[in-house]
Amino acid sequence: MKLFKQRIKPYLLLLPSVTAAIVFVGWGTAAALLESLQDWETGEWTVVYYHELFTNPVFWDSLFLSFSTALLSTAVSVVLGLVVTRYLYHYFRKNRWKLLVWLPMLVPHLVAAYLVLLFFSDSGLLSSLLYRFGWIQEMSEYPFSVQNRQGTGIILTYIWKEVPFVILMLLPVYYQLNSNYEAVIRTLGGGSWEVFKTAEFPALAPVLTETGIILFSFTIAAFEVPYILGVTYPKMLPLLSYQWYFENDWSSRPAAMAVMMVTTFLTLLLAFLAFGLSQRRRNQMSRGK
Amino acid sequence: MKSFIRRTMKITVLTLIVVGLLAPFLILGMSSFAHEWRWPQLLPASFSLRAWTVVFQDSQLWEALFVTAVIGMLVIVLNFLLGLPAGRALAYEEFKGKSLIETLLLLPILVPSLAIGMGLLFTAIRLGMADHWIGVVLIHLVPTLPYTIRILRAGYENIGWKYEEAARNLGASPFTVFKTVTFPLLFPSIRAVAALSFVISISQYVLTALIGGGQVITLAMIYYPYVSGADRPVTAAFSLLFIVLTIALLLMFESLFLRSRKKV
Repeated sequence: MKLFKQRIKPYLLLLPSVTAAIVFVGWGTAAALLESLQDWETGEWTVVYYHELFTNPVFWDSLFLSFSTALLSTAVSVVLGLVVTRYLYHYFRKNRWKLLVWLPMLVPHLVAAYLVLLFFSDSGLLSSLLYRFGWIQEMSEYPFSVQNRQGTGIILTYIWKEVPFVILMLLPVYYQLNSNYEAVIRTLGGGSWEVFKTAEFPALAPVLTETGIILFSFTIAAFEVPYILGVTYPKMLPLLSYQWYFENDWSSRPAAMAVMMVTTFLTLLLAFLAFGLSQRRRNQMSRGK
Repeated sequence: MKSFIRRTMKITVLTLIVVGLLAPFLILGMSSFAHEWRWPQLLPASFSLRAWTVVFQDSQLWEALFVTAVIGMLVIVLNFLLGLPAGRALAYEEFKGKSLIETLLLLPILVPSLAIGMGLLFTAIRLGMADHWIGVVLIHLVPTLPYTIRILRAGYENIGWKYEEAARNLGASPFTVFKTVTFPLLFPSIRAVAALSFVISISQYVLTALIGGGQVITLAMIYYPYVSGADRPVTAAFSLLFIVLTIALLLMFESLFLRSRKKV
């Protein structure tokens, strides 16, 4: 009896959160999927909304914008976060440095987006500074507009917000690294790059993968930031979906759902591939290949 | 020579980080007190309390502040109720299907929250939870719970189970063990969870608008019209409100913790 109790204990502890995850994600996506596959008036099964979506250039432009924005901001955040953590992790042991890194985490994304406007918009601080230096004479000459079709402002916002996130994810790994590895590599004549490649990267890879996937999914599904910094065309996928969802009649609702289903599918596919790759690498490593 | 260059580089990077992280707050603060600050003035020409007056005269502000804070705190409580047992199980136990469960628990932040929100809207309406703060609190679990579980799991892994076992062997009840051993040791993680879930909850615009149906007015709801407006000082003051609210909550949390320590 006691053994049974011991065995079932972890499941009981996990039951509430797993139920919440399944109910929210499972039910939510299932309902959205169903709605995207049914005619909005008759309720008949149809794939016409997906067909219309894939032949609509508006959708492709949004997909490209969302995808490139998410990929770029994730890549830059992860690399910057990694570099900063690697060279400065000793400092972050001290509380005041750690507190400093926490600061951007305490700023909501929508406020961060406004900060980017304040600094980098046409009438922002940088623009004023350039005027002072005599590089521009008019506000309209300001060359670094951030509210553009490439989503520069959105990318900047995410980098400022997510580099600290990456640092906080990576710090525990660096604290737990066995410093003997580095000593061995250095004794054998290896340089910093060797140390990073053989001692640090294998320990970092799983966390880097997880962080990258979280950031990518988060950015590609972002609503709040592009709502402030985006342009009217092309829109990021969630904004496009939201717009169609609330259009005057309900005829665009299935299409709105379809947009989010495609986004979901893409995100999960990428997450699956990345986790799979990182798992395979780990298996190979443990077998000593 | 090489070490000199290294040192200089390190100092430069550290300075850049400090400036990059602190400057935004200074500028926000300055902007909120600016009376006249036009392009291309680098600093405000004159200061006043106008922006703050405007913000606090917003007819919806006090209610929004209250609703936002209550929803945020309820989200924190729910996160602890679900996250503490889950984090504990993942940290201390080995069991069948663990990696599957880990993946399931990560799903709410992998699947776009808008997809989940739009999919759940009809169900929420049918259950009477749409247009109501209960529905908003529940939907805010989606973007917060995965982080909570991750943080608490790492926290539990850090302290290990030995202290708790020692306390239990000395005859402490499970509640006493949690109160006197686990909670104080886990406090850094608990504080991180409170901060993060609160910030995420108060930042939600689209989920709140969707499930709250425009009936549940939070700070984020009334923030947007200001951002798209041209009044910079007012928007800056409003932005600071988000941060002040979070810091106030954290201070409250910290003082509660300190007081509970004194009693032991």
